[in-house]
Amino acid sequence: MRTLGILFYTAVLVLIGILMFLFAVVFSFDRLQPQCIKYINDLLFYMQSSMNYRVILGLSGLLLILISFSFAQLILSRFQREKTIAFPTSSGEVTIALSAVEDLIRRLAGIIPEIKELRPDVIATKKGIIVDIRVVLKAEANIPELTSRLQEITRSKIQEVLGIEEQIIIKIHVAKIISLEERDRKRKETEKEEPTIPFSGYGRA
Amino acid sequence: MQREESRTELGTIRIHKNVIASVASLAALEIDGVKRVGGNFRSGLMELIGKKALSIIHVEINKNEEVKLEIPLVIKYGFNIPDIASKVQENVRNNLEKMTNLSIKDININVQGIEKT
Repeated sequence: MRTLGILFYTAVLVLIGILMFLFAVVFSFDRLQPQCIKYINDLLFYMQSSMNYRVILGLSGLLLILISFSFAQLILSRFQREKTIAFPTSSGEVTIALSAVEDLIRRLAGIIPEIKELRPDVIATKKGIIVDIRVVLKAEANIPELTSRLQEITRSKIQEVLGIEEQIIIKIHVAKIISLEERDRKRKETEKEEPTIPFSGYGRA
Repeated sequence: MQREESRTELGTIRIHKNVIASVASLAALEIDGVKRVGGNFRSGLMELIGKKALSIIHVEINKNEEVKLEIPLVIKYGFNIPDIASKVQENVRNNLEKMTNLSIKDININVQGIEKT
């Protein structure tokens, strides 16, 4: 059904593309004769005067809108459903949104002071959970030691909080290293940008 | 909205789905570690409109008058999710059975986020 939805949207887009392309070709060769315009005009007038045509046109439009909405909902719900980790319990099913796992990993940035910024991306596959972490580090950080510590903390935290036995693959990508000077410069810039209130030193009697 | 109906000698007693959702929401919030009920885009939108637990918790009653619930949750940081989820399921089941005498089929928990206390 999802494939059908994708095919539907592809067909609609291709049709629009072909029409636009044909118009471009017709315009570039000056093939748009007054007769053509007259023919289109006559057709439109005929449709306007005929009640049956108007009803058919309106209903087809509504049907097309309904079909496209249902396909869109179907595709979106499928995509949403895939972004969870699920396990059954005696009372029902427990699903954990991958964004919740990302929230959990984001909190880990507070534990390690050398990490300036942390952006996780979690993917659940048949092999297990793949965690992709992009980090911005401070200059004083020892990268091999810190990344292995981050991997270990992330793995143990996920296992502890989610209680899962599946394999957890943690990939770390160091995107940037912020030097001390850069950090100080940024701090100074933010201090400079702070607006000063005129006559703020004067008190009121 | 469909209602759960039971007959007595004096007439019928109907329990609205919203009541089931409210009981489930309150029972879920009783568990230590649950930050709030909701958390996804739909529930945020519903909260904005003013519909709290009513539309956030999805309640389904089948032909055999069995209730199926879907509860979206936001869990506090540092708590074990499976542990909290099973506690919520148990508490919701106990409270619903005690208050409404309904037969509960499934209580599905959907953890949508983790927030710091």
